[in-house]
Amino acid sequence: MKKLLRRLLLLGALAGAAYAVRGYLRGRSPGQETVQLVFDDGSVRSLASNTTQGQEFTDIARKIVETGL
Amino acid sequence: MTERSEAETAEGLDRVLADLRALSEDIESCAVLSEDRDLLSSSHQPGVERERVAAMLAALVYLSERLARESGKGNISQLRIDAGGGHLLVVRLGDGGVLAATTGPEARVGLVLYDMRNARGEVEKALAEGSDQ
Repeated sequence: MKKLLRRLLLLGALAGAAYAVRGYLRGRSPGQETVQLVFDDGSVRSLASNTTQGQEFTDIARKIVETGL
Repeated sequence: MTERSEAETAEGLDRVLADLRALSEDIESCAVLSEDRDLLSSSHQPGVERERVAAMLAALVYLSERLARESGKGNISQLRIDAGGGHLLVVRLGDGGVLAATTGPEARVGLVLYDMRNARGEVEKALAEGSDQ
């Protein structure tokens, strides 16, 4: 039983590492800021893709990029 | 705005956007959305697709305005979204309209935004010329 758990743990760690490497190679990590807003006063606000607000923006933007303007 | 001046505005805007695309090769498509959220210039012909794009762009502008209000800031002057398969870039015009562009994923986004900010004056001029007539 212990051996099985150890193997599962190792498998999970390997899968996590593979996901992280894939994200790194694609230049993106989970929750990376994908929306950047610049206000009139020059201040900047960034939204991560794993937030509700960030997701709202990226969902619409993805459709526009696919369709074209 | 009369029908004729609308056509002249659209023609002027098309020219400015064509110049922008020639200058900034990373731009795949671009459009101008008026303050009233009408799509004044677009690569899409009038029809369902054009209305759909106008609605989606208007929704994005609404979201950014809401965020600005909630943050206690003025208006948004620029918006940049990495949408995975490409970028959506938006620059606000003086009258409340927006100039928007899409690029591929590998585009030099900073450079495109620089060109868009430079083209903003020409877009505003084309809009003003149309409304003067």
